[in-house]
Amino acid sequence: MTQSDVLVAEPKPEPEAAAPVRRHRRPLAALPYVIIGIYLLTAFFGPMLVDYDPVATSVKGRLLPPGSETATGTAWLGTDGVGRDVLAQVVYGARTSFIIGIAVVFLSGLIGVALGAIAGYFGRLPDMAVSRTIDVLMAFPGILLAIVISGLLERGMHVVIIALSVGGWVGFARLSRSITMSTRERDWVDAARIMGVSKPATLTRHIAPFLAGSVIALATIELASAVLSEAALSFLGLGLPPDVVSWGQSIANGRDYLATAWWITVFPGLALTILVICIGLVGDKLTRRYTRTRD
Amino acid sequence: MDIRTRRPLAAAAVSISLLMVTAACSWSDTPAVGAGGGGTLNVAGPIPIENLDPHGAASMDGGTQLAARAIFSPLVTATGPGKFKGDLATKWAPNEDATKWTFTLREGVKYSDGTPVTAQEVVASFERVLAAKGPLAGNFGGYSVDAPDKKTVVFTSKTPDAAFLGKITSFFVTPEKAEKKGFFQKPVGSGPYKVSSFEPGQALKLKPNADYWDGKPDLNNVVFKSIPEVSARMTALKTGEVDVTWGMPDDQIAQLKSDTNLSVDAVPSPGVNTMWMNSGTPALKKADVRRALWQAVDFKSIVESLYPETGSLADSVVSPVVLGYAKQQPVKYDPAAAKAALKKAGFDFGTKLRFQYSQPQFRQFVEAVASDLKKAGVKVDPVEKEQAVFLEDLLAMKWDINIQQIGSQGFDAATNLGRLYPCAAKRTGYCNKELDKDLAAAGASTDVAERKKLYAKATKTIWDDAVGMYPMFVEQPYSWRKTVKGLKLAPDGMPTFADVKVSE
Amino acid sequence: MIHYLAKRLAIGLLTIWGVVSAVFVVIRLAPGDQATVALGPGAKAEEIAALRHSLGLDESLVVQYFSYLGDVATLDFGQSYRYGRPAMQAVLERFPATIELTIAATVIAILVGLVLGVVAGHRPGSLVDQAVSTFTLGLQAVPPFWIGIMLILLFALQAKMLPSAGGGSFPHLVLPAITLSIPFTALVARMTRSGVAETMTEAFVQTARSKGLTETQVLGGHVLKNSLIPVVTVVGLQIGTLLGGAVVIETVFAWPGLGQLLVSAVGNRDYAVVQGATFLIAICVIVLNLAADLVNAKLDPRIRVEARR
Repeated sequence: MTQSDVLVAEPKPEPEAAAPVRRHRRPLAALPYVIIGIYLLTAFFGPMLVDYDPVATSVKGRLLPPGSETATGTAWLGTDGVGRDVLAQVVYGARTSFIIGIAVVFLSGLIGVALGAIAGYFGRLPDMAVSRTIDVLMAFPGILLAIVISGLLERGMHVVIIALSVGGWVGFARLSRSITMSTRERDWVDAARIMGVSKPATLTRHIAPFLAGSVIALATIELASAVLSEAALSFLGLGLPPDVVSWGQSIANGRDYLATAWWITVFPGLALTILVICIGLVGDKLTRRYTRTRD
Repeated sequence: MDIRTRRPLAAAAVSISLLMVTAACSWSDTPAVGAGGGGTLNVAGPIPIENLDPHGAASMDGGTQLAARAIFSPLVTATGPGKFKGDLATKWAPNEDATKWTFTLREGVKYSDGTPVTAQEVVASFERVLAAKGPLAGNFGGYSVDAPDKKTVVFTSKTPDAAFLGKITSFFVTPEKAEKKGFFQKPVGSGPYKVSSFEPGQALKLKPNADYWDGKPDLNNVVFKSIPEVSARMTALKTGEVDVTWGMPDDQIAQLKSDTNLSVDAVPSPGVNTMWMNSGTPALKKADVRRALWQAVDFKSIVESLYPETGSLADSVVSPVVLGYAKQQPVKYDPAAAKAALKKAGFDFGTKLRFQYSQPQFRQFVEAVASDLKKAGVKVDPVEKEQAVFLEDLLAMKWDINIQQIGSQGFDAATNLGRLYPCAAKRTGYCNKELDKDLAAAGASTDVAERKKLYAKATKTIWDDAVGMYPMFVEQPYSWRKTVKGLKLAPDGMPTFADVKVSE
Repeated sequence: MIHYLAKRLAIGLLTIWGVVSAVFVVIRLAPGDQATVALGPGAKAEEIAALRHSLGLDESLVVQYFSYLGDVATLDFGQSYRYGRPAMQAVLERFPATIELTIAATVIAILVGLVLGVVAGHRPGSLVDQAVSTFTLGLQAVPPFWIGIMLILLFALQAKMLPSAGGGSFPHLVLPAITLSIPFTALVARMTRSGVAETMTEAFVQTARSKGLTETQVLGGHVLKNSLIPVVTVVGLQIGTLLGGAVVIETVFAWPGLGQLLVSAVGNRDYAVVQGATFLIAICVIVLNLAADLVNAKLDPRIRVEARR
């Protein structure tokens, strides 16, 4: 939500454009893309290479430090409290994170853009309803919703996706509402209206295209925050069931062993942090590009 | 524009000074507590003290019971299985069919404000418990109470209740004014200590009660602190910020043992890790199947690896410190035999068994069990539930396997076997008329030997029919600084501190 | 202005009603109630029914809802069954700790954020700017709960400089405040940076320079003042978010605040406390947002016309 505020509240052109020094293209600029690529490859192919069964424990080989030999090979990143391989958890966790992140962004983006565009274009009652709902959601502790949703439904990935989307659409709605509001005053929209194009058609044909760029930028940022929120939920013990591997769960599981077995917490957290930072960097770039073209 | 922008800066300055003030107050507070003279005992148990009312919603809460033992007086306290010591009461006796329990009160006991404890207040306190309909009241369904004279209190039950003494150990007597609003913010009791301040969920500070009937305690101060985070509690113990703690996870104990300033010990507790198998689930209907599942899990390895300090392989349904304990033939780990038995009993290997638990402390245990069952070809779906959801589903029988640590209140099997295993309890899906009869008879007899015999028979039935798996007896670990003398390790994790001394 | 204020207040009240109602419904949708939780796993069905009756939980939801709305209107949040005292009292006991944490985090964020932002924005595009900007972007993205754990690992368990968890003293405050401030610091830094960078190009900066003022005087006296507007707004908007979002951080550090209370009250299905705590958080968020909007509207009339329809 923090980032969506920036997207909405930063209508001014970036001073970078006006900066006197023209910068050279940095070779490091590609780094986030490369790293995200590596994560995607890991998420996709990793599970085929690394063999891991989240249900199989071996209590006799628990809490082994990185590099230890276990019954099934070398545990490069150590083993956790029930003797499962931490490296495998990092690899499988990547897949979980992407599935949940992408699903949440898709779902909340769909709902948010639709509601936001309707509110912004039609104004009056629809706007009233959507805006007040947003107000309520923003003043409502998200944790409560998450607890209730995970209590009402049987634990699973879909529950986490729903729980995160319930709060996630707000950013999209606010963004598309404000863009739609400013776009509908443009000449070509007026023209379309005068020519008798129906309201829904105007909305989809003449306004929606202007949303695309900013929405994609926001989607990137929301992807990072969804990955983060999933981990936070699992960390609080409200997220995924124990048989789905997730970074948040690994971090939470290792919390009691911080003094004795730091690796359980550190490696999954590192994986999470690097990914989220890279997505954030890309999102920032997109945001800058689209906030600039919008004005 | 220029003038306006100053405002937020000024606001920021105010915030900073505010922060400094709060910080400064708290900072000077800490050493005062740590070094408060020769007689301060700092205690941090695993459960925060959130409510001092021993009669209401939190009456069976670990934190409330712990505080109650320091502030209030019970009629009797348990000293072992079936053994009791008088506190407010000096004598007690049941009538022949255990429907009437008569207590004679100790004379001259006073509250810390100097007023005497009366029989009427014992009656009023008990009625307050019943009226609150809280967890403690559940023990006394159908009871009424009366004080025929100044030093006698009679409890009358509609049905025979031989385990009444065990149950009444959780009952504490409060003065008449307990009815007043805000009384339990700083209550007055007749226990060894009196309250000097109470911040719910954070700190309870006590002073000795000079009028305590068994002699004023030596300590000048007892401070209960709430440090829910395990690693923080361990650090506080090592730095001396805390003198006593208990209920530490096994993985922390080795570290504590290596600290020369600390003593570590454990006592057998009434707790048993209990894994009921829902006999109402079609797949688990047959006792043969349930026994085979039990046989398929290598509990010995699991207990030894995960609970090297506080766990031991269980050999009964209730713990050895409980009245009614009877040793059973251990179930041997034999995956091949288990698989064969499952096949023979026609077990459907396609069923996925829902294995529910709520406390994160069970996560590793559950995962290890699920792993072993999977090796036997049994599919298990471990489900961690929020406590409220867990309870709701437990009562609604929406589970196949279930794990909890079950204790026996008052160290009497009546509160465990007698309450949870009759058909009417509808707790395990298991129903056996013969067992019902034995449990009812054991709960009604005043003859201790007879009760033991009946509970032994009931235990054998439950064990052999594998109503659940009973993998582990739980020990209660304590750790204290070596400056602390005279600490008694309470098996139920609710120690008293009346006889503790601190040497500097 | 008065019309605007009235409208905003009306919207605020509507939002409160929405939050209050949503909490009422949502918490009752969750499986289990205070009777099940309080009586525990050994309870008999009739005992649960009796307690439910004595708590009024067996009345119809509509009846409960309207009596609840009436109570809220008179600011009566009822008794907490679990704590045995008024729910609002239990909530207010925890409130100062959360305020303390939030203020500390805000102060850190503003101080560090402003410095970073000015340093970066002073020379847009310079190496320093690039370094700081990348750093703040990173800050904004890191998972706070994990950073919290890492801080515990480094400063409490390894270096043994600070306590790892709990509340009550200044050393306890340091780690959670830093952790909570991280994303906020990044935000303030980025807002300040763009504000400063933009102001640096304005004419009066050139004038100030030509008057012979030192660079520090120019920055402190002229540039910073003019770049603060967006920062004020963001601070106002974000303190609310911080308040509500402290839940995870409070859990990590066992900080005895409102977030922790809320989590355990939801766990105990202590309806009165959940409703009281949510009400208080909602009020704070709404009031702070309103304040930020007002300050904003006052500073920049364009916003009032444009953004608040």
